[in-house]
Amino acid sequence: MSYIEYVFAAYAVFMAVLTWDFVAPRIRSAQILRAVRLRATRQAAPAAPLDHAELRR
Amino acid sequence: MNPVLRWFHQLGSPPAFDRFARRWAPWGFGLGLATMAVGLYGALFVVPADYQQGDSFRILYIHVPSAWMSLAVFAVMALYAAIAMIWRIKLCEILAMACAPIGAAFTVITLATGSIWGRPMWGTWWDWDPRLTTELILLFLYLGVIGLYGAIEDRRTAARAAGLLAIVGVVLLPVIRYSVVWWDSLHQGQTIRVFGESSIDPSMLWPLLWMVVGTKFWFAGSLLARARADNLRREAGKDWVRALASAPAGRGG
Repeated sequence: MSYIEYVFAAYAVFMAVLTWDFVAPRIRSAQILRAVRLRATRQAAPAAPLDHAELRR
Repeated sequence: MNPVLRWFHQLGSPPAFDRFARRWAPWGFGLGLATMAVGLYGALFVVPADYQQGDSFRILYIHVPSAWMSLAVFAVMALYAAIAMIWRIKLCEILAMACAPIGAAFTVITLATGSIWGRPMWGTWWDWDPRLTTELILLFLYLGVIGLYGAIEDRRTAARAAGLLAIVGVVLLPVIRYSVVWWDSLHQGQTIRVFGESSIDPSMLWPLLWMVVGTKFWFAGSLLARARADNLRREAGKDWVRALASAPAGRGG
């Protein structure tokens, strides 16, 4: 009558959901900051020189 | 101006809130984890097995605090949504919407652990009992708030629409609370009372109290972390976010 496997299962669900709750906002913040950083890098990069090869032909 | 009022006004500024959340969210998580660790140790290794339910009663130590949180977080979400709607405070919109996934997580834990406990004790994983059914409706309400907030492109319109759903949904909370009183229910009645004597033996009560406090700290940490992410998302085009993003590793994350 110990039902220990049910106890393990319940605590595993608890741990898994709280782990997700901890990780999810951190990943989201990191993704947003990364996107902002990439956009800033793209905007700061000098414009690529025009390729006039087509005109020269 | 009163220093407390001034502090509240300053906190409403997105960069100030970001600094606040970045500083205090780890404390919420840390204190929550430490407090829950004590509670879990007591629940799993100190408290004796129940004479009828055996070890399965240990599930109560995660099920009950999660169930309380599922209701409390909804009430907090509705309160923030009401403040946001009345005084048009953007930070309250963000906080209200940050509550929804946390509340949904605690509701999932409540339903899952209750179901796991019910299998050996009731002989079934699920029963359309008033308490179980109303708790399931609560989960759908949380998912509705999350879905509505995600479905509308304009963040402020989305927060207002989802906030309204949260405010209306508050009527479900007393129904869940008193479902075991109003209807014949398979779910047990109230055994733990804040005011008055609990029917649980005092030797079994203390880990539960640690868990109740621990989940509150955890909620505070999670709320700040989620609100921070939403705040960054809304402010992604602003200079202060660009400065934060280009800051050396460890400052921005």
